[in-house]
Amino acid sequence: MTTSSARDWYKDAVFYEVHVKAYKDGNGDGIGDFAGLTESLDYVQELGVDCLWILPMYPSPLRDDGYDIADFYAIHPSYGTVEDFQKFLDAAHARGLRVITDLVMNHTSDQHPWFQASRSDPTSPYKDYYVWSPSDHRFADARIIFVDTERSNWTFDPVRREYYWHRFFSHQPDLNYDNPAVRRSMLDVMRFWLDRGLDGFRCDAVPYLVEREGTSCENLPETHAILKEFRAVIDQEYGGDRVLLAEANQWPEDVRHYFGNGDEFHMAFHFPLMPRLYLGLRLEDTRPITDIFTHTPPIPPACQWGLFLRNHDELTLEMVTNEERAFMYYAYAYEPDMKLNLGIRRRLAPLLDGDRRRVELLNCLLLTLPGSPIIYYGDEIGMGDNVYLGDRNGVRTPMQWSRDRNAGFSAVENGQLYLPVIADPVYGYEAVNVAAQARQPSSLLNTMRQLLAARRTSSVFGRGSIEFLRPRNSKVLAYLRRHGRETLLIVANLSAAPQPVELDLTAFAGATPIEMLGATAFPAIRSTPYFLSLGPHGFYWFRLERPGDSDEPFGIERTAI
Amino acid sequence: MTEVAVGPALPPDVDRQLEGLPPAELAIAVLTYNNAATVPAVLDAVRKGLEKHFAGAPSVLINVDAGSSDATVARLAEAGLPFVRAHHEAPASQLAAVPFHGVPGRGAALRLAAAVARRAGVRALLVLEADVTSVNAEWLERLARPVLEQNVDLVMPIHARHRYDGTITNLVVAPLVAAMFGRRLHQPLSGPRALSARLLERLAAETQWPQPGRSVADLWIIGTAIGAGLAVHEARLGRWRVESNTRTTDLPTMVAQTLGAAFATMEEYEDLWLATESGPPLPVDGPPVLPSDETVQIDVERMVGAFGRGLRDLGTIWEQVLAPETYGDVLSLDIEDLTRFRFPDDLWARVVYDFALGHHWSVVYRDHLLRSLVPLYLGRTAAFVLATRQRDAAAVESGLDAVAAAFARQKPYLVDRWR
Repeated sequence: MTTSSARDWYKDAVFYEVHVKAYKDGNGDGIGDFAGLTESLDYVQELGVDCLWILPMYPSPLRDDGYDIADFYAIHPSYGTVEDFQKFLDAAHARGLRVITDLVMNHTSDQHPWFQASRSDPTSPYKDYYVWSPSDHRFADARIIFVDTERSNWTFDPVRREYYWHRFFSHQPDLNYDNPAVRRSMLDVMRFWLDRGLDGFRCDAVPYLVEREGTSCENLPETHAILKEFRAVIDQEYGGDRVLLAEANQWPEDVRHYFGNGDEFHMAFHFPLMPRLYLGLRLEDTRPITDIFTHTPPIPPACQWGLFLRNHDELTLEMVTNEERAFMYYAYAYEPDMKLNLGIRRRLAPLLDGDRRRVELLNCLLLTLPGSPIIYYGDEIGMGDNVYLGDRNGVRTPMQWSRDRNAGFSAVENGQLYLPVIADPVYGYEAVNVAAQARQPSSLLNTMRQLLAARRTSSVFGRGSIEFLRPRNSKVLAYLRRHGRETLLIVANLSAAPQPVELDLTAFAGATPIEMLGATAFPAIRSTPYFLSLGPHGFYWFRLERPGDSDEPFGIERTAI
Repeated sequence: MTEVAVGPALPPDVDRQLEGLPPAELAIAVLTYNNAATVPAVLDAVRKGLEKHFAGAPSVLINVDAGSSDATVARLAEAGLPFVRAHHEAPASQLAAVPFHGVPGRGAALRLAAAVARRAGVRALLVLEADVTSVNAEWLERLARPVLEQNVDLVMPIHARHRYDGTITNLVVAPLVAAMFGRRLHQPLSGPRALSARLLERLAAETQWPQPGRSVADLWIIGTAIGAGLAVHEARLGRWRVESNTRTTDLPTMVAQTLGAAFATMEEYEDLWLATESGPPLPVDGPPVLPSDETVQIDVERMVGAFGRGLRDLGTIWEQVLAPETYGDVLSLDIEDLTRFRFPDDLWARVVYDFALGHHWSVVYRDHLLRSLVPLYLGRTAAFVLATRQRDAAAVESGLDAVAAAFARQKPYLVDRWR
């Protein structure tokens, strides 16, 4: 037996994405912190997720919600101390929960001491830590990502009297990964947190580490070489069970390279799938969803896609065609305030007009398509957003725990909260909160718990292959998931009207579909088309049991304990 | 004077009920969840037992309910006995899929029942299951009398069961728990039991009660009583018949829940077992009761088939969980010829210990780890049936003694690799 932990635990895991500042205020200053998060771990455990993904927690001027890191070795004072973080991490581990945190590798805040030294002291060891140039004409083929705020990837620094390179905001200078000292420094940062027991990193903005003239400066071979070097060191020093999750907002064939031969990232987000789930739902047509899987290349066996419906950023539409994007804006962002950059800044429930059936349907797809699901905090209770809060703040409001003051998030006077709680009559905390939903058996929260519990009963969800059935009714999505001897059949109605469907399941003749949420046996499959009817946005999770598969009458079941 | 432990605060409505209660010596707690159909049988046994055996001892009936939607609580309230009702919080997931013991949040229910009994000042708390209809007046006497009259602190049941009933208990959980705590209990997961005031006091002082949904509090209570050097007895009761629509009969779920509870207890309470050595056998009270002799159809061939499919399909998981030598020994078991199929006790003990270690170190996802033990358990069970089906009851008993001895013998293997 190896004493190292399950190396590929992330393949079975469900992730839960959390803002420290937004989850629970433990010290009563209006800002969530690690003390509050630690108090809330029972809730997280009971929800049935496996790993928390903590958004940036480092000291930062917070001009990009913490993605502008000013010190990699500390915790933002509003959130606590490194000791508080350690207590949180230990408490999570004690509950069998794992924790990964965000790490921004590509850039720092312009307030970071490295940058301050680099700009002001030509003799400093940090003088080449950033990408400096006397002109702003280099790397002209690189696109500008934040088109709403930035005009160039270069900004002139009046102190050093040179331009510095930044792919994101001008206050986030890119680190110079051609400098070996930068690579060593970043590895030391990773070691600092991994030594504390952290289970891995969600690595922000990885395609942009290295710049080369005449290229898009994205996904370059030199960038991959550096990432592989990092992975090898971490595997070697930490026993191979720490996970690296890539944020590479690229097409699947480009993202594929971030898995390497299983020697680069363990996981990467599947960005193009997510908008197509919404598109398929709005069009009531399975093709946007099935098509993207035909364009998804196979990945090495130990690797995994990260799937999500929403996250802390805008619902990004970079990975759809212009025509699809226009339709998405039309369907999901009918007010201009709802758009940001190339995306839509809304939460799951309001995006779907608060339609419980559609929320459950999309979660059904999230939990059953191949990959590890990532749930954004608050979406499990159907929290709303506030698009008038600017930037992406509208989806980063305090967690709605109860109908007490400040939604039970904090005991301070309202004005002191880092952001106001959602208080509108539909999605506000008085209508939507954990305490109320925990008590109501049919609430969205309890439905999510049931779906998550059902997902835990089979390794097929995280590890199985996928094969789409092609029923004539294109409003019904049906697919088989297989792993070893186990086969699951998922059937989902994308339409708001009831739908019939006939499925070709002749390969499974003799098998009995067992509906997994209610453990109900459906009529056995024969060599004729299998007929099902589905209610509006209804879905089934079936386990196909062949005769002799299980429920076998060993004769000891009824009294085995 | 030692300071008296305060224990957990009781819900205000329970406090109010206790205020009006006449003093009682014996508390009978019935833990319930939608058991309206079977509580009359339990109440009948309680009434008769009190009348016949404890006529002089004032008693109180405590009901702790997980949120029944039927007439369970009303039926208990109408029993005509001094009555305290309480409601405990149960994890939502357990309300949807009721665990093997039939009570969502059973640990919380036990804790509440213990706290109420302690506050009522009783000398003994008797816990009964609401869906076990074979309960009779003698159970009350056998469980409660040692506590009331012989200074015993915990009395656990031994039900008369068919030799192939309870295979998870007999072949996995009981030997494991016996090796952990150093004292052998035949049915550590069985629900009925009696606790002394001294044990209630001890439990009230414990702040580290198991989290609901993880380890089962029953095992922790046993370990705490043994660890504190309190007097633990077993009592022979009659047959054990459950009439429940909620207890699962899905083998993988049963294995995952029971063994998962044992492993979680090991994880969270190392002080109760890591350094514990074997002690003398526990006293057993009461005359032996003949077990059921009804014919049971057991399909050994099918069990061995399931074990064989496990060998074929679960190799990748077992290889990660089992030590190389253990895995090699499992692979070399001869499943082609049933007359020669054996599963040696020491190998079985090492298999279970490797799974405990795999769970401890999270070698694979814990739910899958627990479920992947099922084919191995079926293989071991088949071997047990093959070895004993032509033999008499004494041979069955000595077969189980040998399993328990192997678990005790192999315990250092587990302890060495645990840290």
